[in-house]
Amino acid sequence: MIGLGIESTAHTFSCAILEKKGKQGKILSDVRKIYRPPEGEGIHPREASRHHVENSAIVLSECLQEAGVTIKDLDIVSYAAGPGLGPCLRVGAVVARSLASYYNIPIYPVNHAIGHIELGKLLTGAKNPLVLLVSGGHTMLLAFLNKQWRVFGETLDITLGQLLDQFGRSIGFASPCGKNIEDLASSSSNYVLLPYSVKGNDVSFSGLLSATKSIVPKSKADACFSLQETAFAMISEAVERALSFTRKKELLIVGGVAANRRLSEMLQDVCKRHGCKFFVAPQKYAGDCGSQICWTGLLESQVKNGVLLEDTFVTQSWRLDSVKVDY
Amino acid sequence: MKLLKKGAEADIYLTKWNDSRVILKIRKAKKYRNPILDEKIRKQRTIRESQTISEVKSFGIPTPLVYYVDLKKSSIIMQEIPGSPVHDLPDSKIIKVSKEIGKLVGVMHKNGIMHGDLTTSNFILYKNKVYVIDFGLSQKTIKSEDHAVDLRLIKEILNSAHAKIMESAWKNFLSGYKSVVGSTNYAKIIHLVSVIESRGRYATVV
Repeated sequence: MIGLGIESTAHTFSCAILEKKGKQGKILSDVRKIYRPPEGEGIHPREASRHHVENSAIVLSECLQEAGVTIKDLDIVSYAAGPGLGPCLRVGAVVARSLASYYNIPIYPVNHAIGHIELGKLLTGAKNPLVLLVSGGHTMLLAFLNKQWRVFGETLDITLGQLLDQFGRSIGFASPCGKNIEDLASSSSNYVLLPYSVKGNDVSFSGLLSATKSIVPKSKADACFSLQETAFAMISEAVERALSFTRKKELLIVGGVAANRRLSEMLQDVCKRHGCKFFVAPQKYAGDCGSQICWTGLLESQVKNGVLLEDTFVTQSWRLDSVKVDY
Repeated sequence: MKLLKKGAEADIYLTKWNDSRVILKIRKAKKYRNPILDEKIRKQRTIRESQTISEVKSFGIPTPLVYYVDLKKSSIIMQEIPGSPVHDLPDSKIIKVSKEIGKLVGVMHKNGIMHGDLTTSNFILYKNKVYVIDFGLSQKTIKSEDHAVDLRLIKEILNSAHAKIMESAWKNFLSGYKSVVGSTNYAKIIHLVSVIESRGRYATVV
């Protein structure tokens, strides 16, 4: 079975083609174009959606070409229907609807966050993990129970990605700022005490963000170092709490921030202590991509028919713990 | 000395102290954490836990007795409560015991204590009495917002780990809680719980 997946929730417009044989999935192509805001600024939804519109045709045709398939070979089309930025989501949905209606291909709206998890499981082979989803849109600890992903801990305000991006932009980096902060942090080892806020399995980052900004005038490098050490220690503790509570023996990290080496290093240490296997989505597929959407659509097609065109919604707010998973 | 549990932040041992069976809870240094931060967290929580665990006894919350605190090692020696964590009880029992948990949380809040880590593993049923443990994240606070954070956490835990019985367990918890804090405070705190939930990511439809 061959599927096309379209991702356009935030800064990335991506199309991917995957082939599914039984439980095996193979990525035939995954093409992306990423909208880059000017330095010091965040994603402007209108500009991002313009970027997606301008690039959608190129990305789609490149992805077909690379996979060596034509539109007629496609068994299903899936698109990210949320959560995300409205104007951006609509671009992906329009492309998916056009293909579905013109070529009469079954269409599947997919939850973007579930996509991160399912692709992570496919690529790492994790079977029954506690999942840490860390990105610009999410900071959540999840475990699968009774046909749904259940939240065992999450941020009470901003996400880890937002924390890094908002701080990074305040010192002049362009979003996403994670890599820049990581590089600058590695030049310092001077830890400045910052607010550490773990509430049970939950975390809160907004106080940390303000406090970190206030130490920037002394040293940007110290600020980056201390920010990473504090925020990642908070996440690691929340993970430890959730691991010990759920007694899971696998940890899977997915989402854009999974690419951070310091975070991985800390979480590996956590796993060692709890005798738990550590899985992290490969860097190329940790962030937003069409493959995550395509694979989830293919999984859904095992148990569901495509939806009617009039039901192909997009929604900015769509919590992944409200999605029933039947496959 | 026998390792009972590797908890999230501490190792729990069963051991002997002055000829009686006791629990040794030790917060060992965490390699992954920056040493300055690590030291601060371990020390602060050891102090907080030993203080609160004794303080809440004065208004009738069943907790283990603290025998000895070693700040250098961040360890606490306390009474063993040999019952079973509420988390491991059969569903019907959890539903029943939820009301008592609600009452206990109500009493703590009424007396200005926020537990900070209200999960079903931190309540132990022993001889028909529910004991509260693990006060490392507790705070002295009379702010309704802080109390609401406590409630939100236990709600999250019921909704995830005990999803099948969430509705009845939560209902019982709330009725126990309300019976202690009174309708006015109850209404205020429940409202704040929904405010906190709405602040969460993608919580409401835009």
